[in-house]
Amino acid sequence: MKERIHKDVVIVGAGMAGLTAALYCGRMNLDTLVLENALVGGQIANATSIENYPGFKSVTGQELIGTLQKQAESFGAVIDEFDEIERVTLKTSPKLIETQEKIYEADVVIIASGMNRRKLPLAEEKKFSGRGVHYCELCDGHAYEGKIIAVAGGGNAAVDAANFLTKYSDNVYLIHRSQLRADDVSQKRLRANEKVTVMLQTEIKALHGDKRLESVDILDKATGETKNLAVDGIFVNIGVEPNTALFKDELTLTASGRIPAGEDCRTEIAGVFAAGDVREKEIRQLTTAASDGTTAALLAEKYLSKLKAGD
Amino acid sequence: MIDIVKVYTIQSCPWCAKVKKYLASKDVEFIELDIEKDPAARDACKKLTGMDYAVPVTTIDDETFVMDYDKDELDKLLCL
Repeated sequence: MKERIHKDVVIVGAGMAGLTAALYCGRMNLDTLVLENALVGGQIANATSIENYPGFKSVTGQELIGTLQKQAESFGAVIDEFDEIERVTLKTSPKLIETQEKIYEADVVIIASGMNRRKLPLAEEKKFSGRGVHYCELCDGHAYEGKIIAVAGGGNAAVDAANFLTKYSDNVYLIHRSQLRADDVSQKRLRANEKVTVMLQTEIKALHGDKRLESVDILDKATGETKNLAVDGIFVNIGVEPNTALFKDELTLTASGRIPAGEDCRTEIAGVFAAGDVREKEIRQLTTAASDGTTAALLAEKYLSKLKAGD
Repeated sequence: MIDIVKVYTIQSCPWCAKVKKYLASKDVEFIELDIEKDPAARDACKKLTGMDYAVPVTTIDDETFVMDYDKDELDKLLCL
């Protein structure tokens, strides 16, 4: 039988929003647990250089998140990155978070579960995953020293990945089905990088290889012509999808799978807040994630005060 | 003879860090082999997995191994 443990606040997700909420909750002496089953830091754990977070000219994701984690822990927040959540029940009081090992009874739940990288939507993706198809440049980029690399995608993450991978290869393709969406600074850096060949309006249609990836079929959407391109490895950065599967039976989700909540981060269930990229909103940046974490934590404390006063 | 748990890593890899933290949280003693700094470790890791520079890789007997952070598989490999 699983041990039952009460917490003032359980935060689901240890990205920028979740850790900021943990920092604030810790500073307000709330008994706070953060559960994370992937990487502490979320999407920025792999970021090689962050240049738009105030106060830092340039910082790696690991440096920024490492500092924030220590800050939150120094105020008493506990971060468990190994015990995975199996199910949640949010409409009861207290709310229940059942993990592989325990059942947490929480007065407040802050959902900051962020987003996951979208997988390459091709049947062969599974065959080549880890054998030529990768999702972490920092982990697997080294494997392609002197080889031919492709990056799929056109946003900031893809452009930054292409630039980063030229550390290992003089032959990097950036392949994207439409126009680049990356910010001007990243695009300028890309255009100046002679090791990257940019292929826009180009779609990856198939992956080939015996035991490992050897080539890809690409469709030039302008001409309708398909050709085969020799590639040893492809790094996929084609966007993200909200990590809300755990909550789909408890909360109404938007068409994009996010949680509807206003700037106050309150969801349709009292005592349940949504913070960061998982919340339906127009702007999703590190700074707005930190802002959401702050708001959710401060309003969580108000909710808890009222709950304890019996209001 | 006591088997030694080996974890092949590179410094910049966040999943390598997670594997090391997980083993530490379970009080598993291990040796870390940084394949960027140790060419012999790189060769051994390549021989084990058939892939060059694929990390993290955890092994206890230099035959069976777990690639990436896969908690269930690590638990099985190390009888946790």
